Amino acid sequence: MKTSVKKLVTAVSTSVALMAAGNAAAEIQIGIAGPMTGPVAQYGDMQFSGARMAIEQINANGGVMGEQLVAVEYDDVCDPKQAVTVANSMVNDGVQFVIGHLCSSSTQPASDIYEDEGILMVTPASTSPDITERGYELVFRTIGLDSMQGPVAANYLASLNPERVAIVHDKQQYGEGIATAVRDTLEAKGVEIAMFEGITAGDKDFSSLVTKMKQADVDFVYYGGYHPELGLILRQAGQAGLDARFMGPEGVGNKDINTIAGEAAEGLLVTLPPSFDQKAENQALVKAFQDKGEDPSGPFVLTSYAAVQLVVDGIKQAESTDPFEVAQALRSGSFETPIGTVQYDEAGDLQSFEFVVYEWHSDGSKTPVN
Amino acid sequence: MQDLLYFFQQLINGLTIGSTYALIAIGYTMVYGIIGMINFAHGEIYMIGAYTALIAITGLATLGIAWLPLVLLVALVCAMIVSSSMGWAVERVAYRPVRGRHRLIPLISAIGMSIFLQNYVHLAQGSRNIGFPSLIQGGFTFGSEGSFQMSLSYMQITIFITTLICMTALSLFISRSRIGRACRAVSQDLGMANLLGIDTNRIISATFVIGAALAAVAGLLLGMYYGSIDPLFGFIAGLKAFTAAVLGGIGSIPGAMLGGLILGVAESMTSGYLSGEYKDVVSFGLLILILLFKPTGLLGKPEVEKI
Amino acid sequence: MPAQNFKHALFCAVITLIIAYPILGLNLEAQGINVTLTGADTFTIVSVFLAAVVVFLFQLFRDNIMGSLQGALSGLSSGSQKEPMAENKRAKIESWVLTGIVVLALFWPFFVSRGAVDLATLVLIYVMLALGLNVVVGLAGLLDLGYVAFYAVGAYTFALLSQYTGISFWVSLPLGALLAALFGLVLGFPVLRLRGDYLAIVTLGFGEIIRILLNNWTSLTGGPNGIGGIPDPTLFGMEFGRRVKEEGNTSFHETFGIAYSGEHKVIFLYLIALVLAVFTALVIRRFMRMPVGRAWEALREDEIAARSLGLSRTAVKLSAFTIGAFFAGFAGTVFASKQGFISPESFVFLESAIILAIVVLGGMGSQIGVVLAAIAVTILPELAREFSEYRMLVFGAAMVLMMVWRPQGLMPMRRIHIELNKQD
Repeated sequence: MKTSVKKLVTAVSTSVALMAAGNAAAEIQIGIAGPMTGPVAQYGDMQFSGARMAIEQINANGGVMGEQLVAVEYDDVCDPKQAVTVANSMVNDGVQFVIGHLCSSSTQPASDIYEDEGILMVTPASTSPDITERGYELVFRTIGLDSMQGPVAANYLASLNPERVAIVHDKQQYGEGIATAVRDTLEAKGVEIAMFEGITAGDKDFSSLVTKMKQADVDFVYYGGYHPELGLILRQAGQAGLDARFMGPEGVGNKDINTIAGEAAEGLLVTLPPSFDQKAENQALVKAFQDKGEDPSGPFVLTSYAAVQLVVDGIKQAESTDPFEVAQALRSGSFETPIGTVQYDEAGDLQSFEFVVYEWHSDGSKTPVN
Repeated sequence: MQDLLYFFQQLINGLTIGSTYALIAIGYTMVYGIIGMINFAHGEIYMIGAYTALIAITGLATLGIAWLPLVLLVALVCAMIVSSSMGWAVERVAYRPVRGRHRLIPLISAIGMSIFLQNYVHLAQGSRNIGFPSLIQGGFTFGSEGSFQMSLSYMQITIFITTLICMTALSLFISRSRIGRACRAVSQDLGMANLLGIDTNRIISATFVIGAALAAVAGLLLGMYYGSIDPLFGFIAGLKAFTAAVLGGIGSIPGAMLGGLILGVAESMTSGYLSGEYKDVVSFGLLILILLFKPTGLLGKPEVEKI
Repeated sequence: MPAQNFKHALFCAVITLIIAYPILGLNLEAQGINVTLTGADTFTIVSVFLAAVVVFLFQLFRDNIMGSLQGALSGLSSGSQKEPMAENKRAKIESWVLTGIVVLALFWPFFVSRGAVDLATLVLIYVMLALGLNVVVGLAGLLDLGYVAFYAVGAYTFALLSQYTGISFWVSLPLGALLAALFGLVLGFPVLRLRGDYLAIVTLGFGEIIRILLNNWTSLTGGPNGIGGIPDPTLFGMEFGRRVKEEGNTSFHETFGIAYSGEHKVIFLYLIALVLAVFTALVIRRFMRMPVGRAWEALREDEIAARSLGLSRTAVKLSAFTIGAFFAGFAGTVFASKQGFISPESFVFLESAIILAIVVLGGMGSQIGVVLAAIAVTILPELAREFSEYRMLVFGAAMVLMMVWRPQGLMPMRRIHIELNKQD
C-alpha cells in the first residue's frame, strides 16, 4: 500500500516536472519506459531505480554540457500495445533519449517508432536477439543477448557430463529464446537431449511434467523462463522425488524463488550477469543506493544506471544532443561504466558481455562456480 | 510394468487436479442452476480463499503455533469465512441489482467484478508470487529402486478425501435439508417458489455462500499442493473449473464432479503422453467435441423449450 | 422495522470488515527467503473501519436515503420532459450530426498531437471490433466470448502474407477479412446447435485454441516471438517512413518535396482506420435494414416464433457469425499495420471481454452508443495514467456500476416504431 502511495507521488511530481520542463529549455529529457504495474512490475522497479539514481547523480555533478537531465517516466505494463502508445507519447513530449523498454516484446514494436522518429533508445533489460538484428541505427542495449547467455549455460552444463538433459521453457520470447540457444549448443556438443518442451506461463500444476521427466530419467534440467514457474517445478520435483539438477537464466535468479521452492532451491545453477554491485569500484554507488533504501543487487539496476550514463557520455563525446550524432559517438568510443568498459558493435550490441554461472542456495545467497 | 506405473502416476496427477477443479466447479454449477448466470468472479473468490488461508497460516507461525491440525483447521475456517462473506457481498452488490435483466448484463457485471477483485488483491498484497508452505509432506512410493517409481503423496490423499467429504456433504445437504429442498425448488422455478413462500433472495445468497466456501477449501488445498499463489491464478483456475462444469452439464452437481475429473485426467494425460503445450487445446477441444454430441453436457438435462 | 434495519446494517458492516480487513490490513511480504505478515499502516486500517461505519450508516438509513434520492431524481427528470419528436425528423437530425462528426474527425488530426492521433487510431480499431461484435451479440443475440480469435486471424493473415510473399496492406485488407469470415463460418457450423451459455464457453475455448496454436506453431508464426517488420500502408506506392523500405516505392515526403515528419504516417493510418470504421458502420447499418438484419433480430427475440415464420436458423446465425468475423479481420489488419509487430499476447481473453464490454456499455445493437463506449473504454484508462495502479480497479468497478445503474447502455438502440398519441 505504501509503495503505491510513493508511486503516486512520483507520478504527480514527474508530471509537475514535465510542466516545468516546458518552460525551461536548458534541459535534456530522458524518457524511462518500463512496467510500473502488472505482473513483472518488480523488474520495472529495478530499472526505474537505477535510471533515477544515475540522473540524480549526473545532475548533482552539473549535468551534461551545462544542462540538467529530467526524467520522464512511462508505464508500458509490458504490453506491446501500450508500449506503442508510450512510444508515441515520447515523440509527443519531445523526448530524444529513451532508457527502456524492459520486455523484449514491448521493446521491439516501440523501437520501430524510435528509429523512425530519430530517438535514441538504450534498453537495459531486453535480451532478444531480434531487436538489434534489423540494422537500426539508434537502438542500443546494456545487457547481453539470449544468444550469448544460452551458450554460456550450455557450455557449463556440458562440462558436467550430463547423461540426459531435459530442456523446458515457458513459451515466451525470452524463455524460449534462451532454451533454444541452450539446446542448439548442447546438440552441437553431442549431449543427449531427452526432451524439449514448453509449459504455460502462469500455470501452477507441473506434476505431469515432473512425472515425465522422472520417466525420461533425466539428470539435468534446463529451464528457460522466470522464477515463479521454476520455483514450482523445483518444489514439485522435490516432492515427487525427481533426482536432477536444475539450471536457469537470470530471470530465475531472484530471492522470491526461495520463498516458493524452499529447500528445493539448493544447488540450482543460474547464469547471471556478474554481480556488478559486488565490484570494488562500484562500492560508492552501492552505498548511494542503500542510503536511499533501495536494493542495487537486482540484475537490471546497474544496467539501467549504465544506460543513462552512456547516453550522457555519448552526448559529451558528440558535443551535441542530436541522437544520430550521439549514436555515432557511442559506436566509435569506449566508455567506463558500472557494468565495465563498454564498446559497441555495428548492431548496437555490447561487444562483450560476460555471464557467470552461480550456484543458488536455499537461504537466497549465491556463490560463483567457475 | 514401468509404463503401467507411469500411466497410474499420470492418472493420480490428473485426478488430484480434477477433484479440485470439481470443488471450484460446484460454485459455477450451483449458481448457474439457480439463476442461470455465469459467475465469472468465482475464480477470484477461490483466489481470495487461498490468500486468506496463507495469511492465517503465516499469522499462526508468527505467533509460534505449529500444531498441524490446529493450523489447518484455523486456516480452513478463516478462508471459508472470508470467502463466503465475499461471495455474499459480490452477489448483493453486483448481481442482485441486475437479476432478471437481459442475460448479458449479469455477465458483464461478473467480468467487471472479476477484474475488480483481481486488482483489489493485487493492490493490497502485491503482484508477486508468494510461496505457500507445504504443511503435509511425505507419501507412499511404489516400484523398485532404480527404475521409475510411482509416488502418492499424503497431500494428494488429503485432497481426494476432502473432496469426497465435501461432495457427499453437499449432496446430503441438497437432498435432505430444508434449505437444500428450497434450493432445488428455486432452481426449478424461481417464480413459483416465490409464490409458495420461499424466500428466494435468501436461497440465492445461500448458494453463493456455499459455492464460495467450497472454493475456499479448494484454495487452501491447492495452495499447499502447488506451492505458490498470486492474484491472477484464480482467473485461470476459474476458467478451467467453468469448463469442467459445462462439460459435466452445467447445473448438475454430479456433473461438475465428473467434468472436473475428466478435465483433470485429460490434461495430465496430454502433458504426459503428448506435450504440455497442447494441454489447453486438448481440454477445450474435448469440451467442443462433447458439446457437439451432447449439447447440454454429459449429465445435463436436455432443455425443454416451452412455448 | 428499525430493529430489523439495525440488525441488517450491523450484519453488512461486519461483512465489510471481514472481506476488507484480512486482505487489506495484513500484508504478506517476502522478506529475504521467508514470508512474513506485517500489519498495514494506520491509515489503511482506519479507512477499513471507516468503510464499515459508512456501510452501517447507509444500511441503517437506507430507506430515508433512497427515498430522498428518488425524490431528487424525479424532480430532475420531471423538468426535462419534452415533446417526443417525430421519428423521421429525429433520424434526419441524427444523420446530420453523424456526418458532422465524421467531417470533424477527418480534419481533427491535423491540429492535435501525434499521441492523440495514435490513440484515436486505437479507438477506431475498437470501434470496428465492437461494431462487428455488435452484429453477433447485439443483433443476433449469440453470446460470443472468443471474438478476439477473428481479430487475430486478420492480424496474422497480414503479418504472414507480408512476411512470406511481400503482399501489401491494400491486398491483405480484403484477404484478412475474408479469411476471418471463413473462420467465422467454420466455427459457426458446429456450434449452431448450442444455446446461450454453452455457445459462450465454446467460443471462449475456440479463442483460446487459436491463441495457443499461434503461440505453439513457431515455425510458421514465430510463436511467442511474434512477427515483426510488418509494413505500413502505402498511398499509391508512396511510403511514409524516413527511408523507403521496398524496391520500386517512393517516399511520401520526397514526392511532395516536404520535410519528413513522422506525423504523416500516423495521420495516414488514422485516416485509413477512420474510412474503414465508417465503411463498417455504413455496411452494418445497411444490413440492419435488410431482411437479413431483421431476421437476426427476430431470431434474437424469439427463436421459435422466427422459425415458425419460415426463417432458416442455420442461414441466419451463420450470416451473423460470418459478417461479425469479417469486420474483426478488418480491424486485425489495421492493428497489425499500426503496431508493426504482433504476438499472441495481444489476443488474450481479456481483449474479448473488453470488446464485449464496449458493446454492452454502448447499448446492445446501437451504433452510436458503441462508438461512444469504444471512446470511453479506450481513452479513460489513458487519461488515468497518473493513477496507473488503480486503473484496472476502477475499470472493473465502473463495469459493475454501469450494469447496475444503466444496464441499457449509454445509448440504447431505438427501433423504428410509431407512437400513438395519448388521448386524454
